[in-house]
Amino acid sequence: MTILQIALLVILAIIIGQIPRGRQLGMLAISTFAIFWLQPSEPFVTLLFWLPVATLAITLLCWALTSSPESRVWGKNWSAAAILVSITLLMDLNRVFKFEQIYTSRTPILELALAVVFGLAVITMLIIRWQKGSHFFQAAALAAIILIFVIIKTPGLIHMVSGYLVNLRGADPADKTTPLTWLGYSYIAFRLLHTIRDKQSGRLPPLTIAEYFDYAIFFPSFTAGPIDRVERFVKELKAPLPLANDDWVDSGTRLLVGMFKKFVVADLLAFISLSNVLVTQVKSAGWMWVFLYAYAFQIYFDFSGYTDIAIGMGRLMGIRLPENFNAPYLKSNLTQFWNSWHMSLTQWFRTYYFNPITRAMRSAKRPLPVWVIIFITQISTFVLIGLWHGVTAGFAIWGLWHGVGLFVQNRWSEFIRTRVPVWAQTQTSQKVLGALGVFLTFNYVALGWLFFNLADPAIAWLAMKKLFGVL
Amino acid sequence: MDDPIMAALEEYISTKILKQPGRKISPDETLISSGMIDSFSLVDLALFVEDTFNVRIDDAELNAQTFNNLNELAALIESRRKK
Repeated sequence: MTILQIALLVILAIIIGQIPRGRQLGMLAISTFAIFWLQPSEPFVTLLFWLPVATLAITLLCWALTSSPESRVWGKNWSAAAILVSITLLMDLNRVFKFEQIYTSRTPILELALAVVFGLAVITMLIIRWQKGSHFFQAAALAAIILIFVIIKTPGLIHMVSGYLVNLRGADPADKTTPLTWLGYSYIAFRLLHTIRDKQSGRLPPLTIAEYFDYAIFFPSFTAGPIDRVERFVKELKAPLPLANDDWVDSGTRLLVGMFKKFVVADLLAFISLSNVLVTQVKSAGWMWVFLYAYAFQIYFDFSGYTDIAIGMGRLMGIRLPENFNAPYLKSNLTQFWNSWHMSLTQWFRTYYFNPITRAMRSAKRPLPVWVIIFITQISTFVLIGLWHGVTAGFAIWGLWHGVGLFVQNRWSEFIRTRVPVWAQTQTSQKVLGALGVFLTFNYVALGWLFFNLADPAIAWLAMKKLFGVL
Repeated sequence: MDDPIMAALEEYISTKILKQPGRKISPDETLISSGMIDSFSLVDLALFVEDTFNVRIDDAELNAQTFNNLNELAALIESRRKK
């Protein structure tokens, strides 16, 4: 997002936060508009229209699959449905209005957009009516969301799909170099998966279309998180937190701090942060460490800056989004680091992957030894977290790096727990050991960024050797 | 500790998780965000609570927001037992 886009969204958030009635629908309208408006340009231009429509369609179908009898009555949903349809059609009609500075005017013909909207409405009603098949459809939806996720996150596959779409349209072959970007899908997909899993386990509260969409595509958090939990979000959606003077100050500070982190600190650090070119050109180990640390801080300030902006914007509308960062680089071990880095994503993986499989393995009739369970669960969880960022060798190795680190830390803590020497128990030694822990943890995390940031693991390995003066 | 729930929790955490029998844990000492109980031991703690007190703790609730010290965990158990 650009500063201008953020500024406009902040103004809209302030307006929504001040209207006494219809906040849910206001948020829905802005969020739907933002999905079209923020979608970056694509291999061929009508995807600027069809990708946002696909986001709305998937969200609508997931709502139908997870809705309850009391929440799917027409009376509670017609206004939200009308907003979704009108905004979609208005965006399409930009081919007539031609407000080029806001949105593309090369949208599909109205008949086609109408046909798709009509088709979706029919499918939604069929899903709602045919409740017998809902278990099957819920499972199918989980699989489909994950499949799409894997396709758009795997560079080879997404290039293939983009190339196919370009050929299909007979567009300029030069465009083939731009792979398709589906804005916000990673975050929206994980919110939808959460609602479907909770529906399956009977925990999902009844949700109207407006509530479900406001949660899934909430405009402050739809491009970069955090990934909230729906029951928490909807509680505040129904009874928005009041905005006292202090809250205005807090929100404003959060927004300014976030913008400063993102557009000043992170963007300045970007000049000297780790890149393929720098790694291959630089010979001195000292400079390599400077580039590595610059990247470590760049990614932190960039991402936590975005989170600050999202939280500040949400608060203006009476919604307190969850924190995503809690001074992660000041933690004295890797467990604490992961309790304070991208917290809403790790919590998601704990809830839907780590906890259930650990629970199952611990409750098995003949449980495996503890260290084997920890090894399997930690490593697999973190490789999956790595792959969430992209299905590439680099992200997988990054996940493995952290999984192994956590496993080693776990075993070390277990070993040392009953063997802490007397000298290490004094307050001063605790402080020194704590500081040493912060130093080690930060450097371990920083070295991990090599595999995260440098797409090619061979280059990352080259960088590692240069850092330690082996080359 | 006077409260039998808290006493049982304290004993389980100090003996089974921290492997330091007899270690005192104050009721408001942070358990999760401090890293004292890691994510693996947290699942064990949930299984212990479920077996001992016959209340369910969901996978989504194993985090510092739901409970982060003995007081909060004991309160959670109490509230579910009353239902």
